[in-house]
Amino acid sequence: MGGASEAVARVGEEPDVVTGEGLPAAHAPAGQASAGWKVLPIVEGLVLLIALVLPWVLQDYLTVFATRVVILALFALSFDLVWGYAGIMSFGQALFFGAAGYGVALLARDLNVTSILLILPAGTLIGLTASLLLGGFLLLGRYPSSVIFVSLGTLTGSYAADRLARGWYYLGGQNGIPSIPPLTLGSYEFEEGPVYYYMVLGILVVVYLLCRFLVRSQFGLALAGLRENEQRIAFFGYKAQHLKAIIFAVGGTIAGLAGSLYAFHEGFVWPNMLGVVFSTQVVLYVLFGGSGTLIGAVIGTVIIEGVSFWLSDNYRDIWPIILGVLLLLVIMFRPLGLVSLVLGERERVGSFGKAPNKAKESGHAAP
Amino acid sequence: MASTFAAVFEIVSFGAIIVLVVLGLGIIASMMGIFNFAQGEFVLLGAYVTYLAYAHGAPVWAGMVAAPFVVGAIGFVLEALIIRRFYAAPIVAMLGTYALGLIIRESVRGLIGGFYLTVPEPIGGSIDLGSVHISAWRFTIIVITLLVMGGCYLLLARTSFGLRVRATLENPALARASGISTPLIYGATFAFGAALAGLAGALIVPVFSLFADLGIRFLIQGFVAVMVGGVGSFIGPVAGAGVIGTLSAALPWVMSPVVADVLVFVLAIAFIKFRPQGLIAGKGV
Repeated sequence: MGGASEAVARVGEEPDVVTGEGLPAAHAPAGQASAGWKVLPIVEGLVLLIALVLPWVLQDYLTVFATRVVILALFALSFDLVWGYAGIMSFGQALFFGAAGYGVALLARDLNVTSILLILPAGTLIGLTASLLLGGFLLLGRYPSSVIFVSLGTLTGSYAADRLARGWYYLGGQNGIPSIPPLTLGSYEFEEGPVYYYMVLGILVVVYLLCRFLVRSQFGLALAGLRENEQRIAFFGYKAQHLKAIIFAVGGTIAGLAGSLYAFHEGFVWPNMLGVVFSTQVVLYVLFGGSGTLIGAVIGTVIIEGVSFWLSDNYRDIWPIILGVLLLLVIMFRPLGLVSLVLGERERVGSFGKAPNKAKESGHAAP
Repeated sequence: MASTFAAVFEIVSFGAIIVLVVLGLGIIASMMGIFNFAQGEFVLLGAYVTYLAYAHGAPVWAGMVAAPFVVGAIGFVLEALIIRRFYAAPIVAMLGTYALGLIIRESVRGLIGGFYLTVPEPIGGSIDLGSVHISAWRFTIIVITLLVMGGCYLLLARTSFGLRVRATLENPALARASGISTPLIYGATFAFGAALAGLAGALIVPVFSLFADLGIRFLIQGFVAVMVGGVGSFIGPVAGAGVIGTLSAALPWVMSPVVADVLVFVLAIAFIKFRPQGLIAGKGV
């Protein structure tokens, strides 16, 4: 990946002036930005606040459910980075989620490894390796791959992995790997409940902040350019394919982390985790909440999972139909998702890197 | 010798089924440039229509004749209401048709419950060739597939409708300037693709029986076949479907089915990676 690190270096060196010229909408003129009411931090703060107090108001079994939602939100974040920020339609994101889940489940079953200090790095590493391999194969090469090829390639990869897991006796076949022991730290065991909840919430917050930093950096600016106009970003001298492969690997890494947390939380892994079911589920979360905003992925996950849990008693049969209708309506009339109801376009695009200094700012205001 | 012949018949008959399913998918992908994720559900609808006719006492063949028309009409309406908005963005089209497919699939699941419903073969029994017995219905499927393939080819290559479709594919602006109503052509092409899927569903339901996930089984295989064959022509996806169908039916005879299943996909993706234009490059028929 020599070329990839070169691309990163280039991103870091890119002069600030690109911020203004490459994407005119990327930063608001100083006056409006400071006078305007920033909605995004408020939304993020509210979500965090609600997440923090939840275990105190929920019954235990609901805390377990909330933990699952937080892990899925982490998974949704990984897809949002890849689709919402780089415009790569990864229809097989569950491949990394499930591969990490199966990997750590095997570690626990065959080698009795349950320490959180080993399991989480292992899951992350599996996600990273799998996404580097698949992303490298699909995205890199002499000719740029078409978006259709990448989306169908990831879909096929995920489907093939699902079939493999179903048919392979070592991986438990249709039933998957049951009764994974709890995560441990020294002699402490992470049982389902508030402790596990706060641990995954902490991980989600850390990953969220890292992602936020990443997409607001110069690298994030290059990604936004890539999403909007790949050819132009290539003309600027960026290696578009490398940028894509890097963000794909970052997404896969986060999915791997989420997958290993999920496997230990549920206590078992099964083929659906690898396959089309989870892959499309995560697409639903992100499109519904709002792709291209990190908080949108989290909100989408919480709403879809929450409503489906709430409806599951009485309306289990028609819920998927409602979900399909909602998704169709969102795609047709609100392509930016629910978050776009409160979040303006300017704030969604946001600004990148260091704030431009005043002199440059005035130069833009009076062209 | 007899067992070899039986194996070859199995392989050819499965290949024919894949070709039948992919025909509609390929026509929509090639002529309109969108990958229709709801295609599997059109197959399911075709199967469901046939089952409905059978359940209400009509002969099975009548349901099979009705299925393509019903599904084609549904396709025409959906294109006019929804699909039409997605032409500019192929990825959004994928997601939109996926949502549509989800709605159709879950509705059918609600209607039939979680059951496997069987529909009898309209032509039962077997054909005896010496010591070999081959299923008469599977043989009929092969024959119908060949007829439909030939019919589609003639329609696209020899009729004025086919000419208009190809003109619209090649250069929509010029086609409009020449007085061709491109929205109508798109609608008709989509309906035609949906009708073919409906026919496929109707024909295969006696073999696979009716269940809600019937379409998904073929969808990814169909996409891979279209990509392997090459998007942009009629003959490309058909060739791809032949290759993928034959491979997925033939490989399990020489290795474990699990490995064969995965190997087909890996080979196909690798092939597309190194030959993005597919087996048969170029536009037209």
